[in-house]
Amino acid sequence: MSIYLDNQAAKPVDERVISEMLPYFRDKFANPASLHADGDIATDILEKSREMVADFINAPNPSDIIFTSGATESNNLAIIGAANFYKRKGNHIIISEIEHISILNIAKYLEKQGFKISRIPVDRYGIIRLDKLENLINDSTILISVASASNEVGSIQPIEEISKIATKNKILFHTDAIPSESTLSIDVQSVPIDMITLSSNDIYGPRGVGALYLKKGVRVNPIIIGGGQERGFRSGSENIPGIVGFAKAAGIMKNEMPKEVEYLKGLRDKLISGVLEIIPNSHLNGHPEKRLANNAHFRFDYIEGESLILQLKEHNVAAATGSACSSKTLEPSHTLIAMGLLHEEAHGSLLVSLGRTTKLTDINKIIEVLPGAVKRLRIMSPLTPPELLKKYKEVK
Amino acid sequence: MKSTQYSEKVLDHFRNPRNVGVIDNPDGYGKVGNPVCGDLMEIFIKVKKNEAGEDIIDDIKFRTFGCGSAVATSSMVTEMAMGMKVADAYKITRNDVADELEGLPPIKMHCSNLAADALKAAIDNYRLGTTSEVEVATSCSIPDIKVILGLEDFVGKGVFKEVDDLFKFKDKRVLILDTGDKSLELALELIKYTGRVILLTSAKNTPGSEELKKKLKKSDVKILYESELLEVKGTDDVEKAVIHDFDEDENYELFIDTVIYLEN
Repeated sequence: MSIYLDNQAAKPVDERVISEMLPYFRDKFANPASLHADGDIATDILEKSREMVADFINAPNPSDIIFTSGATESNNLAIIGAANFYKRKGNHIIISEIEHISILNIAKYLEKQGFKISRIPVDRYGIIRLDKLENLINDSTILISVASASNEVGSIQPIEEISKIATKNKILFHTDAIPSESTLSIDVQSVPIDMITLSSNDIYGPRGVGALYLKKGVRVNPIIIGGGQERGFRSGSENIPGIVGFAKAAGIMKNEMPKEVEYLKGLRDKLISGVLEIIPNSHLNGHPEKRLANNAHFRFDYIEGESLILQLKEHNVAAATGSACSSKTLEPSHTLIAMGLLHEEAHGSLLVSLGRTTKLTDINKIIEVLPGAVKRLRIMSPLTPPELLKKYKEVK
Repeated sequence: MKSTQYSEKVLDHFRNPRNVGVIDNPDGYGKVGNPVCGDLMEIFIKVKKNEAGEDIIDDIKFRTFGCGSAVATSSMVTEMAMGMKVADAYKITRNDVADELEGLPPIKMHCSNLAADALKAAIDNYRLGTTSEVEVATSCSIPDIKVILGLEDFVGKGVFKEVDDLFKFKDKRVLILDTGDKSLELALELIKYTGRVILLTSAKNTPGSEELKKKLKKSDVKILYESELLEVKGTDDVEKAVIHDFDEDENYELFIDTVIYLEN
């Protein structure tokens, strides 16, 4: 097992969650739609789970929670579903430039269907420009969708302010809360949001299950048609073990988040100061303070991210990069480019994301191996200035 | 395939790159790529005469900014060229480099392209005394992938690398790859013989010179933008083409009779 510092991509499932799920594979496997006693047990646990997930975001009605197969599906249901339901009201949707790829591609899809999409620009820290948002709104705007934070550079978005602007203009507001689900609490009764994408794995539950919070009165057209489960919003037999795991994970997260966030912040700050101090020509991407407790996103001059990941792999350290060379299209991270970074700067990025299982020794290990990995690549790079090379050669 | 799913040989060259560094006062120096695209390579060579009086590469070094395969291909090309006759080293192709590395992920094939080009640039510099800086920066995001599965197998069975008699394409479904103005001119000619000419281009907008652009826009040639051909399929003859759309990042199949791929 690697020293795992890629929690933004996937998180381990909490042992307590696994234990909770197991009976629902073996003994309590029935379908909630069945009328027999076993079916009733399944219905009961489904509804109890719904209450727990509703409680996680302080939703007033458990029925506001619609279980889905995960974040991508929730984003599809929220945005395509709302676009189709409200299209007679208007055809304009606002997203931000730094959304998750699922939202960017949903927007592209809707553009082809005739919807107009505007993208809110971000500042150099990767935080959306609220002043620009107000200017983008017009009479045909039906929906604003902005993630709770950047899933790459970890910059926290001004959700409360966006919510106010949306409310004032009577526009629906959706947020993809995945990036911050394990580090920022949500209270829909204090900050009104119409739709929220949630995922189980992002709070240490199993993968393949998520939810869309749909505020009472907000409507979407379903995107999956079938037997009419989940009040008709999402057909398909419910994934009971997954939903039970999700609910358990939400319960644990709600209780432990404050303590966990403090712990993660401590590790994160140690990592950031350690790296910036030891490695010359290194930079922190994203906002220095308004950033997720589990996110450290660096940029190293003169080297390329994929080869840095490979170097770290040699030391059994798992992390991520926004370099173009690591993506399928060879395009660098859209977030870094939107923040105004040059392409060559975006290539040298490293995302280290921490989680519940990250230990101080893991942080010490990456601080120990990273300078050498960067140095190795810099010695090989024609971009490294001679002075820096000289410095590297002196300290052998 | 994951872009980082490298062969053991690639990883070996990445872990232990051969011939890293700079040669002071080299006999030849070549630099290709562009950091904006994520790849930049430099090659330095020292040349001496062998007993027969032929030029041989006496020493070779490289420096590379880029991904794992960019490092591995640079290392490999220096290992291949070391001690070689200059004339032979000049003939090393990107496929030779990729083959020596036991293959590269398709999307990384352009890296091996760069390594061979850097060596050629260094040899040109030695022979001509011109420092050739080739900026391969026309479109970074769309790599120069020339590995098209099945293409070679169907030459003469629907795949054409050169075209003489246009009449044989009458009423055929023709897919023509944008390999420069010549291919565009051919597409404009072909549309007179068959109504179904599809031009595949990696560009975002209509390719070609201003004049060709105008003609293409007016013509019935259907252009697929931001696309590349991944594979040619069929039982005996060409039946289908698998196309990758960069914008959507997805693959789809197209029914066709003919693929025209004019090599430059």
